[in-house]
Amino acid sequence: MSSRTASQQTPDRSARKKRRTVWFPYLLLIPSAALIALVNLYPFAVGFLYSLEDGTLIQEGSFVGLQNYLDVWSKADFIGAIWFTAIFAFFGVFGSWAVGMGLAMLLNQEMPARGFMRVAFIVPWILPSVVVAVSWRWIINDQNGLLNMVLGWAGLDPVYLLSTGPFARFSVTLVKVWRSFPFMMISLLAALQTISHDLYEAASIDGAGRWQSFRFVTLPHLLPVSVVLWILMTIWSVNDFDTPWLLTGGGPSNATENLSVIAFKYTFQRNDVGVGAAMAFVTLVILMIFSVLLLRAQGDED
Amino acid sequence: MTYNRDRNKRRKQLRRWGLFAATLAIALVINLPVITMILNSFRTTEEILTSSTIVPTNPSLVNYNYVSLNTSFWSYFANSIFVVGSATLLVIMAAALAGYALSRFRSRVITIYSRGLLLVQMFPLVLALIPLFILLRNLKLVNTPYSVILLYTVVGLPFATWMFKAFFDGIPRELEEAALIDGASRLRAFGLVVLPLAGPAMAAVSIFTFLFSYNEYLVATIFLRSKDLYTIPVGIASFMQQFETDWGSLMAAATMAMVPTFVMFLFVQKYMMYGAVGSGVKG
Repeated sequence: MSSRTASQQTPDRSARKKRRTVWFPYLLLIPSAALIALVNLYPFAVGFLYSLEDGTLIQEGSFVGLQNYLDVWSKADFIGAIWFTAIFAFFGVFGSWAVGMGLAMLLNQEMPARGFMRVAFIVPWILPSVVVAVSWRWIINDQNGLLNMVLGWAGLDPVYLLSTGPFARFSVTLVKVWRSFPFMMISLLAALQTISHDLYEAASIDGAGRWQSFRFVTLPHLLPVSVVLWILMTIWSVNDFDTPWLLTGGGPSNATENLSVIAFKYTFQRNDVGVGAAMAFVTLVILMIFSVLLLRAQGDED
Repeated sequence: MTYNRDRNKRRKQLRRWGLFAATLAIALVINLPVITMILNSFRTTEEILTSSTIVPTNPSLVNYNYVSLNTSFWSYFANSIFVVGSATLLVIMAAALAGYALSRFRSRVITIYSRGLLLVQMFPLVLALIPLFILLRNLKLVNTPYSVILLYTVVGLPFATWMFKAFFDGIPRELEEAALIDGASRLRAFGLVVLPLAGPAMAAVSIFTFLFSYNEYLVATIFLRSKDLYTIPVGIASFMQQFETDWGSLMAAATMAMVPTFVMFLFVQKYMMYGAVGSGVKG
């Protein structure tokens, strides 16, 4: 408002200012746009070219067209990685959502030292992935792990959580739930606190019990934020390299390799850049579908 | 009447403490891996493997001494501080400018940029790392801290930009407009009037960037090849192989690594509480 009065007083200066404001915001964006171009756009374009070649990290290869994209589907470990990525993302997302929801409901009650409790429940989320790996390995390690020690005292046989395929998958997903639920919890808690108390009163006047007011008031209110959380967490699970890699290294015999781990392995360990890049692009396409869903969900909200 | 009200109040009080006890128990169980790790770091490996209690019976600092004196822990720590400090500085500079542009100007390009930031956040890091490794190797930047600093800066940018934008949205435009009328350039108005008010946003952005970069493992393990450049996460991961049977030292190293994260977290926990989805998702 005040700028309009100012410009009326000095018309020709405001014309100059107007011209300046046209390029000024872009000047401000230059440093970050340049950085993003270098680290995201350049790899996007060049990575696609690499995926059409059979090069290594040292040597550029020759053009092979879509051969790498056709080849990946005949690799058993890639199909396995897609399968494990799906399991890992699905159970990781819904597991952490369910735990986060339960804790958010709990922390939404009045109790002493609530602030402290909230902080205590966020800890798993902020820990460095290596610290998570060290602390969990001590519990689920095959030899000397806490869990097997306790089972031993109870006279039970040890469970090889990291060295048998299905158990390793379970453990890696469990640790993912453990690392992810705090984000779900705080987001759901923030949404819970926006529900008006009147809604619950109205529900109880209509004769709704606890379960019914949860089912018909709380859940519908949390649905929009939950959708966003599911999609976000799916993306983060697919892109998660650290959890499987640091816990199991992708083993035993590739059982816990997800798409990030397998793209890493092909590129940086087997030196097969073409196949690694193709795998990474397939991952990106899968994620793009989710990104579109996210943008849609956001668009509906606005 | 009063008897009833008293009883009601007592019952309410009882319920609150019951909830407190239940929540505390759940918090302890959930944090059990971290708690046992910290407790175990205070006893020798033999004791860890034979003891049947969770709490150490005769706590000692043997492991901490060992990690401090006989490993490169502190050199890893110094590397981490250099990488994290540089990335944080760069993120603040770039994100403050971009956040100001997003907050004060409207145009198609700016809307596209803002939406693009969301996509950038979803970009699989592994995909970016393949071409970047080759590019940075040709530029002789692989196995230097600069490659890692560059990547951390860009990964931290979207979130930091949104934080700055949200903060600048709260600063009235009239402040800069007064400066513009006094003849200041737009850049001066931003640098001398708006930026000095942005201290709290800078603090929050630095701590979030710190948390992310200090904890990051994948980028560091790809780009930092020689031991004398390792950051804390790569160093601890190498301890995991090296000390496979020396649980005491490993847990002490991990506990030491966790301290900076934890301290920084306590500073920003209230931002995390209310902004998790709000600031992270909404452009």
